[in-house]
Amino acid sequence: MALRVFGLNLVKTNRSVLQNVCKTGATPTQQTVAPYATEVTVQASPAAVQKQKVSKAMKAYLKRANEHDEFMKTQHLEFQIGKRHLANMMGADPETFTQQDIDEAIEYLFPSGLFDKKARPAMKSPDEVFPARKAAEFDETGRPFHSMFYTGNPNFFQLLHDIVQETNKIHELEERLLRRGNTPDENQKLDTTGFQLMPKDQLELLLVESIADIEYSNFVNSMERLIALPYAYKSKEFIERFLKPLMDQSKQLEIPKPRIDEQGRQYITTYECLRKTARADVTVRMPGTGKISINGQDIFYFPEEKCREQLLFPLQFSQMLGKVDIEANVEGGGPSGQSGAIRWGIAMSLRSFVDQEMIESMRLAGLLTRDYRIRERKKFGQEGARRKYTWKKR
Amino acid sequence: MLRKSFISLPRLSQLCGVQRRFQTTHAARVESEAEPAVTADSEPEDIAVIEQKILKHPDYFNVHNLFTVRDLFNARVHYGHKEGSLDDRMRPYLYGNRLGHLIFDLDKTAAHLRDALNFVAHIAFRDGIILFFNRNALNSHLVEQKALEAGEFSHTRFWRGGIFTNANVQFDAVTRLPDLCIFLNTQNNVLSQHTAVRDAAKMAIPTVGIVDSNCNPNLITYPVPGNDDSPAAVELYCNLFKEAILRGKRKRRELLGLPPLEEKLLATRRQRKTK
Repeated sequence: MALRVFGLNLVKTNRSVLQNVCKTGATPTQQTVAPYATEVTVQASPAAVQKQKVSKAMKAYLKRANEHDEFMKTQHLEFQIGKRHLANMMGADPETFTQQDIDEAIEYLFPSGLFDKKARPAMKSPDEVFPARKAAEFDETGRPFHSMFYTGNPNFFQLLHDIVQETNKIHELEERLLRRGNTPDENQKLDTTGFQLMPKDQLELLLVESIADIEYSNFVNSMERLIALPYAYKSKEFIERFLKPLMDQSKQLEIPKPRIDEQGRQYITTYECLRKTARADVTVRMPGTGKISINGQDIFYFPEEKCREQLLFPLQFSQMLGKVDIEANVEGGGPSGQSGAIRWGIAMSLRSFVDQEMIESMRLAGLLTRDYRIRERKKFGQEGARRKYTWKKR
Repeated sequence: MLRKSFISLPRLSQLCGVQRRFQTTHAARVESEAEPAVTADSEPEDIAVIEQKILKHPDYFNVHNLFTVRDLFNARVHYGHKEGSLDDRMRPYLYGNRLGHLIFDLDKTAAHLRDALNFVAHIAFRDGIILFFNRNALNSHLVEQKALEAGEFSHTRFWRGGIFTNANVQFDAVTRLPDLCIFLNTQNNVLSQHTAVRDAAKMAIPTVGIVDSNCNPNLITYPVPGNDDSPAAVELYCNLFKEAILRGKRKRRELLGLPPLEEKLLATRRQRKTK
């Protein structure tokens, strides 16, 4: 006998029977039961059926997604056509034309004098040009997936919730252990020196949400409270997800190993030392006698004293004056730009010959920092970059 | 649409009439009522029809047996605020005062709470979205946890204006608003009411709210007079609402022949989906 005759009253009293049958025959897709089920079909027929409803939210989302897909499809097509044209113009094989070839072709065919690279003509795959779209945050009935969806920042508030969860867990543990007379293990104590909590921008990237300053400070406070607990080491794994090591910046830069020249001296050459419009390459040789040659001349290549001081500053700062020889080739720019470029090159090269501590103090003194300042253009209607013409109202 | 059909929902206490007082401690006689969803023929019914039918039943989900007045008393629901902070509109629900503190009449509270639970279960049965509110930092973790366990939603944080009234802009998409708001407390602090109470009323979203002696029950569809500060009381409310929601959901799944609801699984799956 088919189980379809079970009415609701039977369902209520024989719930266990129904459940058993559900396990054997029922599947979630069984919402629409075939009306032609024969007597032998052993199937639990539901007492009710539901019409599939799609919410307005989902409809709107699907519509937008469709439109976006269509748009991307046409964009891809146009990109392929453009690529073929370019390849033909350049006399290359369209099938093996890569993105690099495209960039070169564009640069050749449409040379641009515009300063900003973003303003120059380009041709890229539409996937790169148009940002990826957010996926739907709700199902087809319009019910959001996340329990804290309506807060607007579900991931962030979930994080705060998780922190409290961890804190509560540790509190409970502490209470239990205290009753047994246990004390926290001093050896396992969580040591966060040399670490800092994830900065706001990184946290935002992690959560894919933008958070306000006050919300970030809430995060910091609750994390600090968690870390300060005596049993914090029990949730070390959780805490470490949000800690970032504090590193010496000079440690991160790789220091090149000195090479040996034909006279058996160590030397380091730093290319592309830039300052204003000057460009230099600097070679430092160790041991030396303090000889300095710039474009074949000695230090009096720079007639001004301040430029010569600039050159000597890194040597004097690291107490290497008279211990190394310097050779520099410099072009472009004026004296102060050239001397600045060489100064940076000397400082960068000296890293290979001094200890870690000195490198760190050189970094703090600003010797290893590239100076990006360049001349500001003159504006029309003004005397210079900023200065205005003399003007009197009456 | 969901809300409109509730106009015909009779209040539980009205149907039970005189026996309301006895209901609080004794199991009520609601069982004897005819099962509205019973059908003689085997043809499955549309769930929408059943949704309408069960409204005639005074207590279809048996919410009256979820708690007793003693449970309320043990959870310290009867404690109000100090006498001076009384909102006049809460006067009918009071039993008296003791040492300057107001005491709620738990029989009245129980009747209101049963109404509210019945309503919540009906909404859950109809697959409504239920949003829990709470602005008390002490209890917010608990509320979020219980909402998650019930497979529903929570908002226990600062209320950015316009989440209901300007939703399509705030969420960057057409958004389905909740079908029911449950306020575990209706105040932001002692001075100001939660803006969502007003906004829910504006958007015609029904509300269930625990109103303490210093709160205004006027904009709440189903006010429940009671203590809204003690963690014990809030935990009791949360458990009751959660259980009512789960009863509604289980019933729906049972009728539709879906596999039974596994609450834990549901909660974890939801969490994973978002990560």
